[in-house]
Amino acid sequence: MFEARTWRTRMVLQVALTLLVLPYLFPLIVMVKGSLAGQGFSNYTAVLAVPGLARFFVNTIIIAASVIVLVYGVTMMAAFGFAKLHIPFREFYFWLLLACLTLPEVVLLAPLFATAIRLGTYNTYWSVILPLAALQVPFAVLLTRNFINGLPDELFEAARVDGASSFRGFIYLVIPLTRPIAAAVFIFTLIAAWNDYLMPLVFLQSTAMQTITLVPSFFVGEFSNDQTKILASAVITAIPEIVAYLCLQGLFERGLSAGAIK
Amino acid sequence: MRLASRREPSGVAVTETHVAPHRPPSQRAGAVGGGVRTRRQARRPLGLPWILPALTLSVGLLYYAIGYTAYISTLNWDGIGPNPQHVGGGNYTRIFHDPVFWDAVRHTVYFFVVTFLIQTLLGLTFAVLLHSRVKLAVVYKVIVFVPVVLAPAIMAPVFRHMFAPDGEFNGLLHALGLGTLAQPWIGQTSTALPVIMAITIWEWTGVTFVLYYAAMTQVDQSVLEAARIDGAGNLRTLFNVIWPEMRGTTVALAILSAIGALKTFDVPYLVTIGGPNYATEFLGTYIYRMTIPLDHVGYGAALSIILLVVALVMAILFQVAGRERKARD
Repeated sequence: MFEARTWRTRMVLQVALTLLVLPYLFPLIVMVKGSLAGQGFSNYTAVLAVPGLARFFVNTIIIAASVIVLVYGVTMMAAFGFAKLHIPFREFYFWLLLACLTLPEVVLLAPLFATAIRLGTYNTYWSVILPLAALQVPFAVLLTRNFINGLPDELFEAARVDGASSFRGFIYLVIPLTRPIAAAVFIFTLIAAWNDYLMPLVFLQSTAMQTITLVPSFFVGEFSNDQTKILASAVITAIPEIVAYLCLQGLFERGLSAGAIK
Repeated sequence: MRLASRREPSGVAVTETHVAPHRPPSQRAGAVGGGVRTRRQARRPLGLPWILPALTLSVGLLYYAIGYTAYISTLNWDGIGPNPQHVGGGNYTRIFHDPVFWDAVRHTVYFFVVTFLIQTLLGLTFAVLLHSRVKLAVVYKVIVFVPVVLAPAIMAPVFRHMFAPDGEFNGLLHALGLGTLAQPWIGQTSTALPVIMAITIWEWTGVTFVLYYAAMTQVDQSVLEAARIDGAGNLRTLFNVIWPEMRGTTVALAILSAIGALKTFDVPYLVTIGGPNYATEFLGTYIYRMTIPLDHVGYGAALSIILLVVALVMAILFQVAGRERKARD
């Protein structure tokens, strides 16, 4: 955007950018440096030696994967229905869904807690998966419906004339054509499910069920507030997220912009 | 972000103006466009079964929870006892006289204004600078965006460590010769809320930046060149050409920030536990405090309903504002 014709302006821009980016780097440096304080790398070996650490990761993967599958399935179907099929009072249903967009998860605590206790789903994966998926669906449907609206009606009508059922239209047209927006839905849902703290905090009680966002509080108990170990555990839990982002960098950035530009 | 998209074929709109010139546009489109649509949709298969799973999951679960919350909000209940006491609107009247509630509201508004302004400024600056042919652009991009993917819950201990009286932040101030500014950042009421804001800005600038960056790639290059030929400098181009083009993105980000402010929970709960002395209490943390540790489940539910109403009213206001602006354009 800025035109930097001379060598000096280019230097000024580069230095300004470097200075601005330092505060973003600082907490990450603090994290790594703190985790190596005291006993150095043996902080990491101590953390990795704690039995059950892998369990937190497995639980997070199970929960995030289930939420993604659930959200993807119901979202694609609903977006197809809203965009291309006949639904009486369609906009009414759509608004029912959209009204949930602004819903903060904390308001679900009391009723879902009471219900989970009654149904016996407390301390199961479902008590976290279902509310997380329910909260992600409205935005995912909004995005995907806008996207499918942009696909030509003629495509679906031609398929119908050729005798294809809605189901075949869904499998052979909607699923392959919505890949770009499905990537956005995937990224949004992954970040939301992977990083969620409140639902696992309230609904998952035994450490065998808990997710990685509860790792810091677990280690506060385990190492009686030894900061270096807690920071080492933070680094260990952050690494998969950073690696996933670096591998799918383009997907993350495109996914997020697809969400807000529309 | 457009909340609903209804496609209205322009041909239909023209005929309608003759039929009913005095009705508002949305009604007109519904009335006449509806006729056209029905004829076309008569051939369309019924879509209800397709939207049913999503409705059952989201609308079913969430509206059930909201309804249940509304009921609980009329009780004086600890969440376990078999015989909760019905108090009608009692919880609500108590909330309106609760100073902590009003503190939480003030914090939310203050938090929204500050984080939104600073994030917009920073996101815009990063987007402009990274569009300006700097070296190693990808490295800068990664550094600004990484906080977005890191869970606040995982970074919370790092920030507690960093802002502690003997933490790295005060260490940095000493190293820069600003040792007089060193203070217990999260331990005192005057600085705890700004720290929470700083952490949130750290976490979310990546999103602001990516959105502005994407919007800037869509700016017409020939317009920029025309401005340059007319002798506009870098800053003039930025303010008079680029910034107006960013309006849609800025509005979307304002909505996201406002919703985010209402949902704020993880950072204040994990870094300062809403304290000290309620200095970083938000609606989310207050609801949690009331519902789980204090067992005032009825009171927490009433707070939840108020939060819901505020969120919904805000969403509607944004919608109306967005529509009016679109009509004016």
